[in-house]
Amino acid sequence: MAISFLLMVNKQGQTRLSSYYEWISLIERNALESEIIRKCLSRSEFQCSFVEYRGYKVVYRRYASLFFIVGTKLSKDGNDNPENELGLLEFIHNLVETMDKWAGSICELDIMYSLELIHFLLDEMVQNGHIVESNKMNVLRPLDLMERESQKAESIYR
Amino acid sequence: MSSQARGLQNFISDLRNAKSKEEEQKRVDKELANIRKKFTATGKQLAEDGSNNSLNSYSRKKYVWKLVYIHVLGYDVDFGHAEVLALVRSTKYSEKHVGYTALSLLLRGDDPMMNSILNTIRKDLTTLGPTSAKNNAPTTDTAQSLALCSIANITGLELIQTLHSEVQHTLMAKSSTPCVKKKAALCLLRLVRTSPKLVSGKEFVAQMAQLLQDKHLGVLTSSMSLLYGLATQNPSEYQSLIPYAVHILGLLVLKKACAREYLYYRTPSPWLQIKLLKFLQLYPQILSTGQENDGQDQSIAQLVSVVSKILTETDVSDSINKSNADHAVLFEAVNLIVTWGSSGPAQLREGAMKLLGKFISVREPNIRYLGLLTMAKLAQLEGTADSIKKHQATVLVSLKDADISVRRRALDLLFVMCDTDNAERIVDELVAHLVLADAAIREEMVLKIAILAEKYATDLRWYVDTILKLISISGDHVSDAIWHRVVQIVTNHPQGDLQAYTAATLLVAASPRRCHETAVRVAAYVLGEFGFLVAERPGMSGEEQFRILHQHWATSDATTRAILVSTYAKLANLYEECRPLVAPVFARCKNSVDVEIQQRSAEYAAMREAFSPEAVEDLLREMPPFEDKKQSALEQRLREKEGEDSAAVAKAIRPSAAQRQRQQQSQAAARAAEEVAAQQAAEQNARNDPISPISDGSPGAGPLDRPTVGIPKDVIPAMRKAFSNLCTSPSGVLFENSLLQVGVKHEYVGAQGRISVFFGNLSKAPLLHFRAVVDDQDHLKIQKQGTQGLLDDSDDGGCTVAVRTQAKLLLLVEVTAPFDDAPAMRVIFETEEGELHEYPLRLPIVATCFMEPVTLEPGAFMQRWRSLEGQDRECQEVVKAPPNVPAIDEEYMKRIANIITDGLKFGRCQGCDPTPWTVSGAATFRTGSKDANGNNINVGCLVRVEANPQAGAFRVTTRTLHPLCSKAVKNVALVSIKLA
Repeated sequence: MAISFLLMVNKQGQTRLSSYYEWISLIERNALESEIIRKCLSRSEFQCSFVEYRGYKVVYRRYASLFFIVGTKLSKDGNDNPENELGLLEFIHNLVETMDKWAGSICELDIMYSLELIHFLLDEMVQNGHIVESNKMNVLRPLDLMERESQKAESIYR
Repeated sequence: MSSQARGLQNFISDLRNAKSKEEEQKRVDKELANIRKKFTATGKQLAEDGSNNSLNSYSRKKYVWKLVYIHVLGYDVDFGHAEVLALVRSTKYSEKHVGYTALSLLLRGDDPMMNSILNTIRKDLTTLGPTSAKNNAPTTDTAQSLALCSIANITGLELIQTLHSEVQHTLMAKSSTPCVKKKAALCLLRLVRTSPKLVSGKEFVAQMAQLLQDKHLGVLTSSMSLLYGLATQNPSEYQSLIPYAVHILGLLVLKKACAREYLYYRTPSPWLQIKLLKFLQLYPQILSTGQENDGQDQSIAQLVSVVSKILTETDVSDSINKSNADHAVLFEAVNLIVTWGSSGPAQLREGAMKLLGKFISVREPNIRYLGLLTMAKLAQLEGTADSIKKHQATVLVSLKDADISVRRRALDLLFVMCDTDNAERIVDELVAHLVLADAAIREEMVLKIAILAEKYATDLRWYVDTILKLISISGDHVSDAIWHRVVQIVTNHPQGDLQAYTAATLLVAASPRRCHETAVRVAAYVLGEFGFLVAERPGMSGEEQFRILHQHWATSDATTRAILVSTYAKLANLYEECRPLVAPVFARCKNSVDVEIQQRSAEYAAMREAFSPEAVEDLLREMPPFEDKKQSALEQRLREKEGEDSAAVAKAIRPSAAQRQRQQQSQAAARAAEEVAAQQAAEQNARNDPISPISDGSPGAGPLDRPTVGIPKDVIPAMRKAFSNLCTSPSGVLFENSLLQVGVKHEYVGAQGRISVFFGNLSKAPLLHFRAVVDDQDHLKIQKQGTQGLLDDSDDGGCTVAVRTQAKLLLLVEVTAPFDDAPAMRVIFETEEGELHEYPLRLPIVATCFMEPVTLEPGAFMQRWRSLEGQDRECQEVVKAPPNVPAIDEEYMKRIANIITDGLKFGRCQGCDPTPWTVSGAATFRTGSKDANGNNINVGCLVRVEANPQAGAFRVTTRTLHPLCSKAVKNVALVSIKLA
């Protein structure tokens, strides 16, 4: 029971952010990402947000031109429950809301240009494939501190 | 976003503006070359760790970020690791941060680079207090957090196991902030996943309990992840923590006690609730074994009230997010109810069932999807089948949903809810839908249909038809395992006409010029094995079979050709006319590039010359029944596809009622065969004549206290002769003594016969209470009419036969199955003196009565004769000519031939008897039973009498499709020859 990967991919199929919580080789990652996004793109908004693909249950959500995709392993060995699908779906929304809170309305460009901060934010929320924190305040506090500190000339954060 | 480096932004912009993948690649390559140059620092000394110390903090961060960015885009980054490590070692937070992030993204845990960084990580992990005194920011935990985060995220980590005691210490230390604790918990989980022995449950359970009492929901959330991970490995060790979990759940659900920031659209941390419910699912037995102590009892009561509150109070709300979050918890609660099974409260089960019934018909696709998914889980519970079947129509509609994910789930649910009652409907629906289904789901559907059809077929012909439909609709998705299974099942069920039916159906299926290769394969195999069963039907002769199969030769691949070659060998063996057709194929294939085909055809071609005909027969004999493996190949495939614990697999391995019934039938058939064999052996011992005119009927009908008079010993030889005569002649006397004469007249048309029996009183006084009792037979349908009272089998029933008069009995019979005995008739009467007579007789209704002569060409006769050789289809016995008759001469043989043609009603096959010393004949045994197509079931019979004039003996050989027929024909032939 864990998230295997989290992707942010745009409509053109370009990956804007990827975070894997299990080792997948680079070639496989590329194939996986492009196939998943193709599958997601082919689905209408009247269809459900879950896709089963190559042993993964993929939960996705679309915000404007950006897809947020979470993959979790389907059970294979019998004692590993798959994650709660709706839980993941709402987690994506929580993530987006957290990002909105941090940078106003988040857009694809924000994600591209402030890669390190998005990674930091994500690390605060997901670790090792598990949800650590859903409290937006708690997630954003370290980010906030970092930003404030980096303004000061003599800080250790510089 | 002020920390962004200008160069990085430019680089990203460039990439974004790239018009094509090639342009992007070019830009990336240029950048990589640039970074490589910067990192190697021409002309300057590199630092000890291999990094370029002339780079300033800004550019090092910038280049490492660029590397990370390039890596995320999917390009291989195989350098710059030294710079990453330099960043990690830095004392500046911003550098450390970039370093750690790059570390977890770029490097694998087993990278040799990791060794050199281990100490830095350890130091970061254990260092408390600010690295710089003049800062008032909470710096105590920042480096720690980074280190933990990185350890937890680095994949494939073995080295970092050495750090586990530090991680564990950090997790429990009082000085650790919640932020550090929650990261340490997940970090520990990572380590435990990699090597489970790190943490012993007995010691750790107390620490875990302490963590579960934390007030911080973030700590609770990650602690629950850790606990769930530990408990899946060893549930019993963590069972004592159930009350803690229930307590938290109670706070969240019943009291809604939750910090404001943790409310997600007014739902108290749904993710924590989900984790708690998942943890509780590890203990399916808690409701049935909860009486250990009061504390446990109490928390179980609380748990039940929590679950029922979730079940009853979840509503659709205006906000989709709120609704989703609530339903996430609801589905998890239903999962919990499913794991409890029948030990849970029935009320909860019913509630869950009702909700799911509602969900599968809502418009919201997510809920419909999950409703179908969860209902399939619920269907595994005992006693839910009926309530689920109510929704069958809805599920069938979902099968046609526009959404593939929903269709998959509907298919899954249909598979699980299928049973003997609804199998035919569900399978037919699935087959109908298969035509429209898209490629993504077809293979799965085909596999599942095949399993269902096999499992729930009450008539295996339906199963064969279904698989054929699958092949014609979606042949590419019918795997070898599926058609192998068909062969296996058909071979293992010789009862009924399944084999002939399958052979005929497949022949028709393979007739069109274009048909799927899988159909050709299965047709080739089945016709090779069972083709002879239908060879007599019009358009299905051996030659036709060859022609139909061979038209596919040119379009077949090597595997199919190999099967075809074997089939041709079998056809050539059975039908002489096929040999010239097959020989050129073999000749050509001797040069085939495919080794298998080459070998097969070379061997088959050489076989006839190299071995004796018997050895060839042996080689090409049909396959013995397959071993009945517990797990079919199809189930194995399903297991591979779906994983061990899926509902579908559990479903597939349970034998269905139909399967059990089939098994019982074949067991019963085996038992019956044994009984028959035992009985026959006993009979053989009891009498030395193959057919006795005296039935071994019990005298039980007569009163026990009165002595009964049986058949007088002295009339028995005459009776034998009379009975044997009657078997081959239309009328005669069956029995005669001083009191009674029994005459018989019988005639037959096809499967029906009309037998009149006359009972004449030869005595001087009337015979009282005269009764004739003919027992019902399994293989004969008998209608009886007789003189009034004659058939009344009670002590004071019966009729009176006056002096010099007759009582009459008329029997109309229809044969329904092959048999080898003659029906018994008991004749019971009293004389005037009160003497009770009971004669157990047999009526001369034997198998040969129902024969219809068949005239065969010599070739055809020999071909069939050979195909029926061996096993129980053949009967053979040698009989000595009676001692008082003249030597066997041609005149004698003519009499024998007459017996065969007139008596046994066989058609003489003159061409097969080149010398006068053999007589060959063929006939069809007609029965009144119908097969599936409404045709009467007939059994082809062949007989051959070979005389040895010197020894004065005859050898009678019969070969028929049915063992009983062979035996019966042989017996009648023997007794008739003895009388000739």
